[in-house]
Amino acid sequence: MLQQIAMGVTNHRQRLSLGSRVLAGLLGSYVFTWGCVALVVALGLVQGMDYDEMLTLAYLLAFLVYLCAFLWAFAAASLLRVWLVLAGGGVAMSGAARWLTSMLA
Amino acid sequence: MLSSFRLSMTWVHTWFGLVLGYVLMVCFFFGALSVFDREIDRWAIPETRYEPQPMPSFDSMLLPIFRSIEPEPRSYDYAQGEVQGPLPPRESLAMSDVGAYTTHRDPVLDMYVSFDVPNKPKDANLDHVHAFGYATIDPRSGTVISNDKLKIGSEFFYPLHYSLHLYWKNLGYWLVGMAALTMLAALVTGVVMHRKLLRELFTFRPRKQMRSVLDLHNLTGVAALPFHFFFAFTGLVIFAGIYFPVTSSMFKPQAEAHEKVEELRTGLPHDPAHIAAPLASVDAMVAEAQRRWGERGMPGEVGFLGITHLGDANGYVSVYRAGTDRVTLTGQGIHFRASTGEVIREDPQPSSVAGINDWLTGLHLQHFRHWLLRWLYVLGGLAGCACIATGFVFFVEKRKRQHAKAGASGARWADAMGVTAVTGMLVATGTILVANQLLPGDLPRRGDWEERIFWLAWLLALVHAFWRSAPVAEARLSPAWREQSWVIALLCTAAPVLNWLTTGDHLLKTIAARYWPVAGFDLALLVVATVAVYAARRLGRAERVLVETAGGRGRGSLEAAHA
Amino acid sequence: MPDSLLLGLALLSALCAMGWLALGMNVHWQQVYGNVASSTRTVRIVRVLGACALVVSMLLCLSSDHASIASLVWVMALAAAVFLVAFLLSWRPRWLAWLVPWVRT
Repeated sequence: MLQQIAMGVTNHRQRLSLGSRVLAGLLGSYVFTWGCVALVVALGLVQGMDYDEMLTLAYLLAFLVYLCAFLWAFAAASLLRVWLVLAGGGVAMSGAARWLTSMLA
Repeated sequence: MLSSFRLSMTWVHTWFGLVLGYVLMVCFFFGALSVFDREIDRWAIPETRYEPQPMPSFDSMLLPIFRSIEPEPRSYDYAQGEVQGPLPPRESLAMSDVGAYTTHRDPVLDMYVSFDVPNKPKDANLDHVHAFGYATIDPRSGTVISNDKLKIGSEFFYPLHYSLHLYWKNLGYWLVGMAALTMLAALVTGVVMHRKLLRELFTFRPRKQMRSVLDLHNLTGVAALPFHFFFAFTGLVIFAGIYFPVTSSMFKPQAEAHEKVEELRTGLPHDPAHIAAPLASVDAMVAEAQRRWGERGMPGEVGFLGITHLGDANGYVSVYRAGTDRVTLTGQGIHFRASTGEVIREDPQPSSVAGINDWLTGLHLQHFRHWLLRWLYVLGGLAGCACIATGFVFFVEKRKRQHAKAGASGARWADAMGVTAVTGMLVATGTILVANQLLPGDLPRRGDWEERIFWLAWLLALVHAFWRSAPVAEARLSPAWREQSWVIALLCTAAPVLNWLTTGDHLLKTIAARYWPVAGFDLALLVVATVAVYAARRLGRAERVLVETAGGRGRGSLEAAHA
Repeated sequence: MPDSLLLGLALLSALCAMGWLALGMNVHWQQVYGNVASSTRTVRIVRVLGACALVVSMLLCLSSDHASIASLVWVMALAAAVFLVAFLLSWRPRWLAWLVPWVRT
């Protein structure tokens, strides 16, 4: 489709859809991964684990998570579902992490 | 996204591969050069062409030098911008921490000092701001090597591959991060696209234009697939703190609480006591550290020596072992109270998670001593470059006929960018090496000039690439590839010759003396020059063939050969 | 035995391994021997030889270095071997005939 854009044969809606897909792949996955990192650390802290340990573990997993989320954003048929799962899921996980750590304090 | 999983993955591979490929090329090429960064430093700074040395005496040599180091003017100015109110004079800032660092490949010793800035920071998130000073010395004599002399390997090529020297808001790190992620995605999507992955593992059909390009792309991608995956992945893990800064945002209170717990557990104070204290003999501490490592069955040299809170009652000295015999980085740290020399703590074995992390990061950062593995790493890096470059070529070849017929110019611009990213990058590299030999030895801020010349050369290569790209819009070859190849051949022949003329270290001399840092680099340059000449001649022939067949109504010799 | 010799043998072993595995594929066998197919017996033999040579190569790497480094050397040696075999098949296929000396053309 980028080829079509280069040759000027797409319509406005197709371009928006593609742009949204790319944004979902890059940004949506980022939000999702941030949520995962936060949740892994928070769960660890709640279990009394060492902060550095949990952070290292979260970082080791983070880029594998990002990669999967990124590829799924392009493989999935429904763009709406992609945004809901990645951005929505990411925000939900971050929120859960925040809630868990507030229980500790 | 598209009608099938495979098609969607192909789309990702093609378009992210193309756009981020230009950045990834820089990471892989300068990453490959960075394997021998210290050796390139020797070539660039002739007065450091002697054998690697162990860490010298702290008490008699390093301490006086540390005391003489002043904050770098640029670091001082930057610190001024970060705080409220005027800073005290540059020479009067107090030293807070110092460090000395060497590896088994370094003839020189790197020293740094961090200076305490008493002013309150503008950013409420920061506790305090530091300014920094550096020195590089000859450990045999204590002679300081001017900071004006740029270590082209370790201070230019190496940081280029992970930061693009673009430090504003860490933009370079983010671009490299996206490129690394694209590499991972390109490998996975590539496997999805390439149905006969194992069956075609050894397949390379030369002399078939597009088929050959695709075969080479697949071969270089698949044969070194574990290498490509692990380097992209570990690169991301190394800078994870920049990409997901949870410690300074979401988990700030928890991280701070953790620091306090750590302080109690390890006995290493986080803040100075603001009570002056003398410094005991550091040499005695180093000797004790080496004795303890020996006792644990891992005798070794000192890789890193640091003092935190120098001159303060809370000061401590940390001695780390140079991990030359294993993948994991400098470890087995032993910490001493600075005022008395007693051992505060011996770093224990890392936990399994930390151990995995250390192995992964050590795999990437390669402080180990293993010449075969280093050369194999260079092979892997160059394979990555070949994979990306053949990707660019295939992209253009596949589309230029269509675009020429439709009057579109996408293929032309992609090709020009390809020339810039491949031969242009090599032109810039050759130019900085030649400039290094030609610039006056005592030129002030010599390193800055060398860097400017590098970027200027690359810019010129870009302009040249775009200027000469018109034939691609007519489905022919751009002459820029051939022309820049000749320039590379010229530069890479000139560099060793100039090295001989300016330093007297010609190949016969360096090979006879077995001084491989310089001999190896000169030889490598000559090999590159030879390959460049061969490439230029082949490209010249290909261009002529196309001109001959373009007139006829038959298909040109660069016809599509679909997979 | 000095390390450099062990590593040299490890590289050679990796090269032979990849050569044998390539010869086990019909398309590459034909690059070496023309349009003569290999017998099922030969295919089995070269595959076994290939697998053994892979193991030998790994053991040689392990005998030279600490396991954390040896594993990396081995993986990279295999990559180098794949490149070399691919280029031999394209430019000097007859050289691979040395790996199967019992085969008469």
